[in-house]
Amino acid sequence: MYVERNKNLHQKHFAQQASFWAQKITMSLKPRRVDFSETWGKILATVRGVITLSKVPRPTWNDRFSDVYALCVAYPEPLAEQLYNETKNFLEQHVQSLYKIVNSSLDNLLATYHAYWQEYSKGAEYMNQLYGYLNSQYIRKQKLSDADLAYGHGIDLDEQLMEIGELALDIWRRLMIEPLKGNLVQQLLQEIEKDREGEQTNQAILHGVINSFVHVEEYNKKGLLKLYQDLFEKRFLEETGRYYRKEAGRYLTGTTCSEYMEKVIQRLSDEEMRSRKFLHPSSYDKVTHECQQRFVADHLRFLHGECHDMVRKDRREDMRRMYTLLRTVHNGLMLMVQEVEDHIKETGLDAISNITGDNLPTQFVESVLEVHSRFSHMIQKTLSGDQQFICALDKACSSIVNSRQDQRSPCKSPEWLAKYCDMLLKRSTKGMSESEVDDKLSASITVFKYLDDKDVYQKFYSKMLAKRLIQGNSVSMDAEEAMINRLKQACGYEFTNKLHRMYTDINVSAEHNKKFNEWMRENKEELGIHFNIYVLQAGAWPLGLTNPSPLNIPQELEKSVKMFDMFYKERFNGRKLTWLHQLCNGEVRTCFLKKSYIITLSMYQMAVLLLFNGSDKLTMAEIQSSTQMAEGELGKNVQSLVDAKLLINLDGKEQLTPNVVLTVNVEYTNKRTKFKIPALYQKETVQEVEQAHKAVDEDRKLYLQAAIVRIMKARKALKHNTLIQEVISQSRARFNPSISMIKRCIEQLINKEYIARSNDAADEYTYIA
Amino acid sequence: MADTGGDNGPGKKAADKMFSLKKWNAVAMWSWDVECDTCAICRVQVMDACLRCQAENKQEDCVVVWGECNHSFHNCCMSLWVKQNNRCPLCQQEWVVQRIGK
Repeated sequence: MYVERNKNLHQKHFAQQASFWAQKITMSLKPRRVDFSETWGKILATVRGVITLSKVPRPTWNDRFSDVYALCVAYPEPLAEQLYNETKNFLEQHVQSLYKIVNSSLDNLLATYHAYWQEYSKGAEYMNQLYGYLNSQYIRKQKLSDADLAYGHGIDLDEQLMEIGELALDIWRRLMIEPLKGNLVQQLLQEIEKDREGEQTNQAILHGVINSFVHVEEYNKKGLLKLYQDLFEKRFLEETGRYYRKEAGRYLTGTTCSEYMEKVIQRLSDEEMRSRKFLHPSSYDKVTHECQQRFVADHLRFLHGECHDMVRKDRREDMRRMYTLLRTVHNGLMLMVQEVEDHIKETGLDAISNITGDNLPTQFVESVLEVHSRFSHMIQKTLSGDQQFICALDKACSSIVNSRQDQRSPCKSPEWLAKYCDMLLKRSTKGMSESEVDDKLSASITVFKYLDDKDVYQKFYSKMLAKRLIQGNSVSMDAEEAMINRLKQACGYEFTNKLHRMYTDINVSAEHNKKFNEWMRENKEELGIHFNIYVLQAGAWPLGLTNPSPLNIPQELEKSVKMFDMFYKERFNGRKLTWLHQLCNGEVRTCFLKKSYIITLSMYQMAVLLLFNGSDKLTMAEIQSSTQMAEGELGKNVQSLVDAKLLINLDGKEQLTPNVVLTVNVEYTNKRTKFKIPALYQKETVQEVEQAHKAVDEDRKLYLQAAIVRIMKARKALKHNTLIQEVISQSRARFNPSISMIKRCIEQLINKEYIARSNDAADEYTYIA
Repeated sequence: MADTGGDNGPGKKAADKMFSLKKWNAVAMWSWDVECDTCAICRVQVMDACLRCQAENKQEDCVVVWGECNHSFHNCCMSLWVKQNNRCPLCQQEWVVQRIGK
């Protein structure tokens, strides 16, 4: 504020100087003899008017300006020093007389002080201008530089000359504030307490008086606020503390925590307003801090005692208040954050423990998402989205998602989440729009991020993806790719590498089919059937878990196999193809009925059915020797054809023993002309789940070994513990590795000579290039 | 399969067939045509990339190499090996590349 004023002053000052010099040119700038007492008498009369803000006519002002100049350059001796001393004397007397008036008006001390201060400080500014020449030519030249002040020892600062404005303020400080300070501060504090009690106070006076402590040090660049702080602020803060300690005590008796918080928040905001009304901006935070200490920090136990109930009963308004108050004190929020975390965790665990019925995966995922979105919404709206609470939400959700339903078996969540995604990505989805499916898949990533065992999820996900891709029942390839990309974003390229390869295999296969058909045409060959193939990359597909039954390829397909083998060998070097019968299927048309049916069936079913092209009746033994199918697999597939009424078991026995004779049902009818014989996909057995978990363990070992190699290659030599830590931090994004597994992997890598125990230190390893 | 047809099998005309095959959706898996699934140098399956390539995310480039002795390894494992000893680690014959997978 006063900087602004200074700027204005300067502008005025220059204007005056210009007119002064214009005058001088007409008169004389030359030093001349001057009678000091006569000239001083004129100056004194004017100065008296200036300091009391009486009217001073412009010409008089200009003359005095010249008089100051004349004294400063007087001949033979400049009279500047004398002028300075006389002015100082005058100001001292003036202030002393003002002090007497102010001091005697005890009832009205503040108002009187304020009135005179307003007048005096303004007048001092004008005087400073009037003495412009003295200031710039005499005082500034004698003044010690900042460097002198910093390094010059033993300089008596009292002897320092001051510019007239500064001198005036200094005199005010010495002769007015110093003797009056006890009373002044006492009364200020009383007035402010009145204001706190809701009584009327004069803001302009209080602010003006308080501000005079700062203003009076205007020229003191280094310790501008020192007087204000020593004289007033320190006492004020003590008083504030005392006052609010009492208030807090008063509020505490007979009120609920909720009411207490409401009142406190009101008082805090009132006090902030009050600071702005009366104080220097440098005090705002200190006052607020003091109040927070008295209202919040002193009563933390009381406030904390309320957190448990408040959070559990979801009293939003109280939570908002509690947050507002507790965040202001160091470590105040910790307990509330913990309560919120516990509450979310309890709510979530409760929600997922209540799920029953068929659709466990969907119920699980949607319960977790519901809890997550409910609390994240609450944190955003009620707790300002504070990072500490978001962190608590994350911790709680992670505990919920990774909780084990049964301590003896591995956590179900990764499997359920994968199944949930499978349900969404399968074409059969019940009446959900594309964007709905998309939204739900996006949301599933929220749960995914909380999974500890992401690799278990990946294992199940890839199995289901394989099924969807091979059976061609994905909603769309775009949706599949989008989901793989989401997982990639969440967990990295390596994580989705195999999923990507599966996806790519399917796309590349389309290319193979096209090229193969062209190749066939070029070679003038024909298969006579519609042939379509997926060529999968071994290793990328999770197919090796169940041992499929062997199968003699039906005659009708031999050419297809032979031709495609030739085609593939021509195109690729060093690759061999293995036909995965358990995954093939085909379409067969019936030719023996009036109506022609098109039947979709599995490769095994097809192999059985096609045998009947050669004979009307076949025994189980004959079928077995032709197809070479394993007994169990054969029985199931024949049974499925019997169940579909395509084949008739002529013996009528339940058991399909080798002697049982079968024949085609020549009277077969079906309402549909195109249908599918339900394939005997076994339900996912407990065994399969176990196998999946075992496979995950194998993958983990490989992953850990790769991680160790990577780390060791970069670091060359590493202590055992550091290596373990690095490995854990690198793999945490996927799973939490057990220390014993890491140790085993290190041993294996030592055996394989990737790394070696260091010769220099016992617990150190080195990388072998 | 000739015997399954019995008396009328091979002689029967297509028109007399009870079932005619319309469409076959086949699934096959490709792998490197190797005698041993595991690379003897790095002890990782040849269908998977070797550990060094896995560590550097170069799975796609990690192919198999066959020597004249018909033994096969990861190409990158073998190229490191021959710098020290130009013999097949399995049979100690001099290492001559027969073919490289693609």
